[in-house]
Amino acid sequence: MTQRLGSAQSLLTRFGPLVVLVFALIFPLGANAYWVDVCIGILTFDMLGLGLNLVVGYAGLLDLGYAAFYAIGAYTTALLSTVGHMSFWETLPFAVAFSAIAGVIVGYPTLRLRSDYLAIVTLGFGEIVRITATNLGFTGGPNGIYGIPAPSIFGYQFFSQNSQYYLAIAFVLVVLFFTRQLAHSRLGRAWLSLREDESASEAVGVPSVRVKLWAYVFGAIFGGLAGAFFAARLTAISPDSFTYTQSINILMVVVLGGMASFPGVLLGAAVVVGLPEFLRFMQLWRLFVFAVGLVVLMLVRPQGIWPAARRKENPFGPGSERKLGPPLPLDALRRPADGGGAALEVSGLRRRFGGVTAVDDVAFTVQRGEICSIIGPNGAGKTTVFNCITGVTRPDSGKVHLHDLSLFGRAPHQVVEAGLSRTFQGIRLFKNMSVYENVLVGMYPHQRANVLDSLVHTGRQRREERESLLRCQALLTFCGLAEQAGHRASELSYGDQRRLEIARALAAQPKVLLLDEPAAGMNPSEKQSLMGLVRRIRDLGVTVVLIDHDMNLVMGVSDHVVVLDRGRKIADGTPQEIQADERVVEAYLGRDVQDDEEASAWPS
Amino acid sequence: MGGGGRLAAHQPSLAGPRRFSDRKGARSVSVFVQYLVNGLTIGSFYALVALGYTMIYGIIRLINFAHGDLFMVGAFAGWLVVGAAAGMHLPVPVQLLLAMVIAMIAVGLLAMGIDRVAYQPLLRAPRLSILITALGVSLALENGSMLAFGAGFDTFPANILPLTGFQFLGAQVGYVQVAMFILAIALMVALYFFVQFTAVGTAMRALSFDQDAARLMGINVEGVVLITFLLGGSLAAASGVMMGLYYTQINFMMGFLMGLRAFTAAVLGGIGNIPGAMVGGLLIGVLQSLAAGYISSQWQDVIVFAVLILVLVFKPTGIFGERVVERM
Repeated sequence: MTQRLGSAQSLLTRFGPLVVLVFALIFPLGANAYWVDVCIGILTFDMLGLGLNLVVGYAGLLDLGYAAFYAIGAYTTALLSTVGHMSFWETLPFAVAFSAIAGVIVGYPTLRLRSDYLAIVTLGFGEIVRITATNLGFTGGPNGIYGIPAPSIFGYQFFSQNSQYYLAIAFVLVVLFFTRQLAHSRLGRAWLSLREDESASEAVGVPSVRVKLWAYVFGAIFGGLAGAFFAARLTAISPDSFTYTQSINILMVVVLGGMASFPGVLLGAAVVVGLPEFLRFMQLWRLFVFAVGLVVLMLVRPQGIWPAARRKENPFGPGSERKLGPPLPLDALRRPADGGGAALEVSGLRRRFGGVTAVDDVAFTVQRGEICSIIGPNGAGKTTVFNCITGVTRPDSGKVHLHDLSLFGRAPHQVVEAGLSRTFQGIRLFKNMSVYENVLVGMYPHQRANVLDSLVHTGRQRREERESLLRCQALLTFCGLAEQAGHRASELSYGDQRRLEIARALAAQPKVLLLDEPAAGMNPSEKQSLMGLVRRIRDLGVTVVLIDHDMNLVMGVSDHVVVLDRGRKIADGTPQEIQADERVVEAYLGRDVQDDEEASAWPS
Repeated sequence: MGGGGRLAAHQPSLAGPRRFSDRKGARSVSVFVQYLVNGLTIGSFYALVALGYTMIYGIIRLINFAHGDLFMVGAFAGWLVVGAAAGMHLPVPVQLLLAMVIAMIAVGLLAMGIDRVAYQPLLRAPRLSILITALGVSLALENGSMLAFGAGFDTFPANILPLTGFQFLGAQVGYVQVAMFILAIALMVALYFFVQFTAVGTAMRALSFDQDAARLMGINVEGVVLITFLLGGSLAAASGVMMGLYYTQINFMMGFLMGLRAFTAAVLGGIGNIPGAMVGGLLIGVLQSLAAGYISSQWQDVIVFAVLILVLVFKPTGIFGERVVERM
């Protein structure tokens, strides 16, 4: 039964778009002018929704002033074609460029803000653009601009409604094509990861501000394109078309349809624009009924009418070899030997929080190819040391060197680029992304596809994607997660989530891997297999530094142990030396064996 | 489409009521003081509404787009009560008191109802879903009011409030302005003490830090959220009644611009922060009054938003907001 349903679904996904397109193409032949007009409105909102979907649905940035870009596109085309006597097609590059520039201007100073502050900044920007257009002379003031010539191509003028309708479909198809390309690229995955967990994303190597800025710029570009079309189609524009309400309507299209869902956005536009038209017979009651309908719809389907797929097809399932080629041998994950010497050198590290010195003059060296553990009672400053090394917390002073390269003062994503990646004490996966996508995000720092590659999927980009997938497959196999590649990360068991976090960190091809309490919450057999995994990671040539409280694990797996207490290093040596060290025993058990929660963790 | 030209609908001018407007040829200091007085008066209305935004955001991280419309419903409730009380020939102070109290209770209950029906089921859903629901509620309140009271303007009875005032540094200050300002401040101070020093207030603050932990401590989360909506709604209603009395004209769209400005005020002060909302509201009122007076009322919102954006760029958490430290 489920099999049958499944095949019906795949039939739907394969032929559904075609059926919709064919219907859309023959629709004007049987419909009256009024409904064709409504449909052009829907198609315009399709473009806007698809553009905003990149910003809100993918990158998770709440934009309440999106109509500003729509306005900038529309005014550019209107002014250049009336005053500058350019043809519609000649104005398009300007409309797109000006919107993109506006996107940078708003985005650059503000994208560091928390998302709710961003919401009001965008709202303010939208209002500023509208009020400016209303009050300036050359934009025609409140009356706007008249007499914009209709688009024409090879002498054919898009005057008739039906021709404009088909032009709108062509525009939507173009926008759909490019937004989908972006969504299925390195950039699209980075956007999703930012939406899911910004600091985790930054910590696996995604430069968040730059990536957000691109979301903003592309959103602006498609908004501007829609605006240009809108101006040429109506031949007259006024500031009333670019209100805050319009921005909200576009946002509704995205959220109501289903964030990050392409069919959802198209459907959302049909509902937001079409439904009030259907309700016209209700006259004054129309918008009230629409509003109540909106609330009920959100209550019934909080994820949107057509939410994005929750599970992905396993890209490494049967038949994948034909597309990807044969799986890589696990040896391919091995790091090239880079000689001996220190992998990580920390010296004089100091960090104060208010009056508390969390890390006080800590120094230690981790040799290449070793497994080093940092232990210490709760509050000893272990995680703060990790945060100082990885750029999450800025140390007050000290030196951090990775293979002779200073990491001091670098942002988290730059630390990953330099070759040091980490996992978190509390698991921080991109929960609503699939297992394999989590790993692919981890490869961001090493991928070379630029924005243009992502937009048009060049041969270079496709080759890189294939290589990344193969590497991802090898990593998942290495960590024992190959079967679950298509699952959502949040569906994994606790132990598997820990392993996925490790796989994601390894995806950056680190020289040194920091594991923050990898065994926390694991049962004994999971811990055993984790110890095996840590050793195998070391055998790949990756230096491992880990924090843990489980002494069996630490003493069993480490070559070298560093002990911290109250922010200071109190011991440094082999597991045997540490177990015999009096100061360590004292730090853990107290001088007169007082009750201490760490005591139970000490092996008897 | 959600109300084609919402901004196109006529809004009463917020540049200051004509009754107290400055006279031509006045000295520049007195003009400035006049703008300041007018700005503080409307700023106190903004602050009351901003408090609701900030409390609700602080607790459930929702930008309650319907909040400005609660202010509008409050104005209409006050208008209905004044009309009915005047019909019963009650003395004016009693009319005003009844209008204030009944509007505050009614809108507080309405806000609770909205929370219960439209927001609570979505608290665990994606954050933007509940935002869209709030937009739907806003649209429903606006259009519901239009159906009930018509699309035109309704007016409070003329001369219900004294027009007298006094001179202060050459500026005309109405007794009404002073009274409303004091009332608004009193309500804010009362709210501040409620949040700081009562059990429910403590529970609210706990909720704003960690909802799950608060629940584990035995706090009735849903109940506390409901009380927050009750408080937020009644403060908005108080603001609505005062603004209605001040400008005498009310309209179903009046909550829209108010919502926009009050939200701006909340963010300017540092959203989630109660004193921040008060200061933010007063600042926005003064800024707007000065911008309208010295530059042009057409550009006043541009100036307000430009200042807001500048403040956020240099102080990304608003004036009073604290940096949220994320634990790894």
